[in-house]
This record gives sequence, C-alpha cells and structure tokens, in this order.
Amino acid sequence: MTINNENKNNGETASSAESSINLEASRRNFIFGSVAAAGLTVAPGMMLYQTANARSLSDFSLKDGASSKVRWGMLVNTTKEVDWNKCVEACNKEHGLGNEKDSRDDQKTQYIRVVDVKNKGTGYSMSLPVMCQHCENAPCVDVCPTGASMKRADGIVLVDRHRCIGCRYCMMACPYKARSFVHEVLTDQTENTPRGKGCVESCNMCVSRIDNGQEPACVEASEGAIIFGDLNDPETPIAKILAKHGGKQIRADLKLNPGVHYQGI
Amino acid sequence: MKKLHFLEVEGNTKGFYSFLGLFGLISLIGVLAAYYMEHNGHWVTGMSNQVIWGTPHVFAIFLIVAASGALNIASISSVFAKTSYKPLARLSGILAISLLSGGLVVLLLDLGRPDRLIVAMTQFNFVSIFTWNILLYTGFMGIVGIYLWTMMDRPYNNLTKKAGMAAFIWRLILTTGTGSIFGFLIAREAYDSALLAPMFIIMSFSFGLAFFLLFLMGSYKYTQRELGDYIVNRLKNLLGVFVAAVLYFVIIYHVTNLYSADHRGITQFILTSGGIYTFLFWVVQIALGSLVPLALLYGPTGNNRTMVGTASVLIILGGLAQLYVIIIGGQAYPMQLFPGMEVSSSFYDGVVAVYAPSLPEFLLGLGGVGVTLLLATIAIAAMKFLPASLSDEVADPHGK
Amino acid sequence: MGLALIAGFSTANANQDGLGPKITLPENSEGKSCLFPSEQMRREHPDMLKHDRIQTLREGVRAQADGKVLDGSLKQCVNCHAIKDASNKFVRIDNEQHFCASCHKYAAVSIDCFQCHRDIPEGSGDFHALTNHKDVNYSNVAPGTYSLTTEDMANIAPEVISDDN
Repeated sequence: MTINNENKNNGETASSAESSINLEASRRNFIFGSVAAAGLTVAPGMMLYQTANARSLSDFSLKDGASSKVRWGMLVNTTKEVDWNKCVEACNKEHGLGNEKDSRDDQKTQYIRVVDVKNKGTGYSMSLPVMCQHCENAPCVDVCPTGASMKRADGIVLVDRHRCIGCRYCMMACPYKARSFVHEVLTDQTENTPRGKGCVESCNMCVSRIDNGQEPACVEASEGAIIFGDLNDPETPIAKILAKHGGKQIRADLKLNPGVHYQGI
Repeated sequence: MKKLHFLEVEGNTKGFYSFLGLFGLISLIGVLAAYYMEHNGHWVTGMSNQVIWGTPHVFAIFLIVAASGALNIASISSVFAKTSYKPLARLSGILAISLLSGGLVVLLLDLGRPDRLIVAMTQFNFVSIFTWNILLYTGFMGIVGIYLWTMMDRPYNNLTKKAGMAAFIWRLILTTGTGSIFGFLIAREAYDSALLAPMFIIMSFSFGLAFFLLFLMGSYKYTQRELGDYIVNRLKNLLGVFVAAVLYFVIIYHVTNLYSADHRGITQFILTSGGIYTFLFWVVQIALGSLVPLALLYGPTGNNRTMVGTASVLIILGGLAQLYVIIIGGQAYPMQLFPGMEVSSSFYDGVVAVYAPSLPEFLLGLGGVGVTLLLATIAIAAMKFLPASLSDEVADPHGK
Repeated sequence: MGLALIAGFSTANANQDGLGPKITLPENSEGKSCLFPSEQMRREHPDMLKHDRIQTLREGVRAQADGKVLDGSLKQCVNCHAIKDASNKFVRIDNEQHFCASCHKYAAVSIDCFQCHRDIPEGSGDFHALTNHKDVNYSNVAPGTYSLTTEDMANIAPEVISDDN
C-alpha cells in the first residue's frame, strides 16, 4: 500500500505544478500553434499557405523538417481519474484504425491500448495507456534490415512504409508490443495516416499533427492526463514537471530511454 | 584403395523424372500457398500480432541452419584433411547451397511485401543483424560456389584448401548470425541468451548431417550405386556425437535460465506448463528427436541402414520441434511489460498467445524443403557431384 | 527508375498520337497546368513523389522554402485531380477513370501507392477528416496560390496546447 500512497502523492503534486507554470507555457504553445496553422491543412482537399502573414513561416519547421534540437515526448499521469478508452477512441479515429474486415481480434492493429496492472502481492492495481514509447535507443530501429523502421531527428519513431518489406523483426524486438502488422487489404485510409497490407505500423505520435502544430490525438482526448512537449527544452511544462517531480519509463531497466514517461506507475 | 571417380546421375530415367516431378510438385504447392497468403494478407494464417513469426519461419530457419551444417562434411575433408570425407565434399557443398536456397525462398515468400525484395537488397541498415544475415547468406552462396569450383576443376584443386577454410569460417559466422537473430532480442525472455548462437551452430551440425545422410543414402539407393558401410558408419557415429552435443546445449540453456529468476518463467512454461510446447519439447525434441536416435545410432541396430535412416528422420523432426518450441513457444509466452505484476489488456498482454498453424503456412514451409530437394536433384544429374561408387574399397583409405 | 522511364516514354508517345487518357484538371484551375507543364509532369512525377516522400516522412519537411506545398505531395495530387463519377461520388483507384489508374493502366505500369495512401480526397468515403477545421471557408483555391483571410486564421487556430485542464 505504501507504493500506492506514494504514487497518489506524486500525482497530486504533479498536477499542482502543472497549473502553476502553465500560463507562460500555453502562451508559448499558442504561438507555436498559430504559426503552424499558417501552413497546414485546413479542410479536406486544401493545403493553405500563408506567405504574407506577419509571422513568417521561416520561424516554423514546416520547411525545415524535424530538428534534433527537439525531442518530443509525453508524460502520462496515471493517477488522474480519466477514461483512457477515450484516448484509444481518439487514436483510432485519427488514424482510421479498426477498419479490418477479415482479421481476427489478435490480428487487428492497435496503436494505443489500455493495460491493467495488478500487483499480486499488495493488491494494488491501476490502468495506463501504452503506445509506442518512442525510445531513444529503439530496438525496432536497430533491427530493421532496410531502415524502414526509423527515428526522426526529433525523436519520433515511425515506419517508412515505402521501405517496409513486412519481415516483422521489429515486432519481435519491441519490448512494449507497440507494433502491429496489417494482415489484410485496407481501403479508406485517412489522408494523414497511409497504411496497408503487408507493412508493420505503430503509433507515430501523430506526426502529421505535430508537424502542423497540433498535439497528438490521445493527448487532446486525455483531459490533461497526458502532456505533450519538447523534453529537450527545460522551459516546456513537460520538462519542468519531469524535472521537479520525476517520471518513470516502462521497462527502464532495458535502458532504451523512451520518450513516453509515466507518473504513478 | 580404388581410384575415386565422380559421375552424374543418369537424368533420362523414369525414376529421376518421378523424383523431379514429386519435388517440383511440393515446391509448386508451396509457391501457390504463398500466393494465397500474400493475395489475401496474413489474416488467413495462424500468425497474429502476438505470434509474429510462425510455421514458415520454423521451416526456413531449419533449412538455413541445416545448410551451414551440411557443409561440415566438406570442411572436415578440406580444412581438417580427413581424406575419408573427400568423396563426399562435393555433395556437401551442393546440399548446403540447396538447403540455403530452400530456406531463403520460404523466408522471402512469407514477407508482408515480398514484391519489395529489391528494397531489401539495396537499402541496408548495417546496425541490423538481419542485414548482416542477408549479406552472409549471399556471401555463403558465392563462397561455397567458388569452393565447389576449386574442387571440381582440376587445375584449381590446389586452391581447395584455402576456399574450404574460407567457407568454413564463413559458415560459422553465418550460423552465429542466424542464432543472433534471436539472441539479440532483449525483449523476449526466451531469446535473451548468449547461448543461442553457439547452440544454433551445434544444431546446424546435427540437422545438416542428418539431412546429408538421408540424401546420400537415398540417392545411392535409387541410383543403385554402391555405398559401403565404412562411410555410413563414420557419418552415423559423427551424427550421434552431434545429437549428444545439442542435447548438452539444450540442458545448459534451460538450467542457466532456471537459475536466473527473471528467466524462470519462460523455462517453467516450456518445461512444465506450456501445453503443446511442453509436449513438443519432451516428447518430440528430447525423446523422439534425441534419445531414440542416440539409441538407434549407437545401439545394436547401428549397422542397419533402415535404422540409421529412421534416426536421421527423427533428428530432423526433433529439430523442427526444437525450432518450433524456440520460435513459437518463445513468442507465445507473454512479454513482461511490468515484471512481477499481473497485466491484462485488449492487446493480449499477460496471456499466453494462441497459435494454430494454418495449412498454407505449413505447405509454404514444406515447399522450401521441396525447393531444396529439387535443386539438389537437378544438380547431381547436371554435374559430377556424386562418386560413381562409395564402396568400402573406394572410401576406406586404410582398406585394400 | 526503369519503370518511371518506360512510363514517361509511353505516355509521351501516347500524347503525340493524340491517343491515351487525359489527366483531369481541377474544376477551378481555368485550364492552368499543374505545378509544371504537362510534359514535365508526365516524365518527372514519379521522381517528384519519391523525392518528396523521403523529405516528408523521414525528414519531416512539409513545405518548400517559400512555404509552398511540396511538389510531390500525393495528398495534394489526389485533392486536385480526383474525379467524380455520374453519381457525384469520387472514383476509387480500382476504377479506370481514377486519374492515376487511367494513365497507369494505359501504360501498363503498376503502382502500389494506394495500397496504403488514400485514393480520394478526405471527407469522402467512410472516414472523416480532422474535424476541428471543418467550418473554415477558404477562397482562391487555385493550386499553389491558396491564402487565408484573417478571419480564417482565427477559426483555424488549433486548440491551445494546454496543461491546465
């Protein structure tokens, strides 16, 4: 039970810290967001380009691409009373998942799932969302023979389906079971998440949303229980909370240094 | 000692065409099965997001491992200068190439996107042990090819020893690489062991020799060439040693895993509570695949060809079971997301994965064996791989 | 590469003969060509797509230096060129009228883009676009020259990334 209490405390202090530093932070993010908006998809079929806007696009990474100065990460506060299934739903909707017709349940894709954990000794139990942990030393990237499984400069791990040959070695290597294989022909994919038969796929941290200045879908749906941001910038809320209250990584013993951190596990 | 004389197998006979047709048919069925799987997607197989590699991989890895083992006979002859193995060296080389081809065909046809072979051959990630394996496999074909050429082209015979040495070193690295495909997976308890690479090497000795012996006895029987006891006895004694060595490694592997608490779960699963995997381990791998063959090879039946053949078949079946337990059993056992905790989710965390091999998977795997036999059969008819006679007068260097 | 070259040849020849399929242009393009003249697009579109897919996916570059859309944005191709059938529904890639299928069938060059990529504009079919931009009105919809009004900007500013909820 000690563990339980500790976790609860940790969570509470974490959330109060959030509210104390959020003003400046959300401003920063707001600026980031609106600049981003100048060059993003606003409606089906239309890309928008704002060249005459006061805020120049040169400030923004749309044209520069992913920068190694940034390391995107997430902080999941498992002590918050949140229905994690909302994150799963948001993810499925964002990426158009769940459109398999023939696959068995154990063959269907899941980018994010809710894991229930129970300590048999103490009886303590909790739930947490688990997705690709976006490891710094990602085993899936190391083992991929073609370089299809890759890590972007900003730390996002994703599959380049143009190169994926479907050998599934990355799925063997991932300690988080974060990856799925597409077992059947798919149609009606979403525009921003191309996916199809014979390739491996996983959570890509909603990379197209991030590039457009938006948060990942699960973060948006989490009612504040998941924070998204740049781990490398000490001024971001995520970095500040982690610096002050710490966080844990799943299977930290494997020394993969995931970009997804948890509180309360 | 009579002079050694190599001769092609007569190709224009009913028997030869029957074998060609049979092996061709098995290969064709394998290819059709692969087409069915690729056309529909892998949902028609037993494989899933939990059991990622299935029956095709069991066959593919068996054939690849056996390939490097089949080359042993040639290595013993050229590298370790045992002249009594010299008559078998050519067959050893061509079987190695055939086995490797069969295995690679299966591996390739099970890919999600086999149409992208060109990507695999042009875009390399040199951190990946898989990439190294691709290079090792292609290199193996080349080196064994050169090795065979130095053996079969008289003016270049003096290079045989060097080529044989290169091939020997290459095959050791290759099997280490194959074993490391699993050994490098820290995520899974079953594979997280440095013992896997040496174990795969010794497995290759055993599987490769069993296959070699069967092919040798089969081809001599159906071509009515003479195969003396001298050769068969040497080979079967060697085979027994290899089977015992594999058994030794299996024991060490499981005992060390039992010793460390974080690997105890998977070991107990395989040894006691794993259902089909426990059955395959004790009954097929250990009893039928190791103990019975040892008894057959070293017991009073050791001089009986049928018994030697039976032992070889059992060793192959035991080997397939062993790889099934390692590959599929290792995946069926749940990964430890939170070591020591009970976990459950919609993605089958914390539960033993269910896997039932489907017919197309099995047929694809068998197709690989078909391709191997087809290639080897064509080869021995096309070129001088087999000695016209392996009677004791020819084979025994100490005989009169 | 080889395939791309063959495709280039056959379609170019087809055009000279006045045979072969035509690519549909966006309704509001007023007869203007795409990013480049048709001949160039015919020859170079595979390379553009290949080049820019690497940029977009692997490097995260989503716009040109001047902020324009990448030349090889497949999404943009589909959004402009997708055509509708008699019942006012977008035709899918398995239909010969689809703007990619029409030429590629003719040139007998098979492509696998649409095994993964969406073949018709988003919002049509079963899945829907990100919904928070739904109500934005846009003007000047010729390719490459879109711009936003200040009003649009206010509407599309994404929900603030915040941690206070």
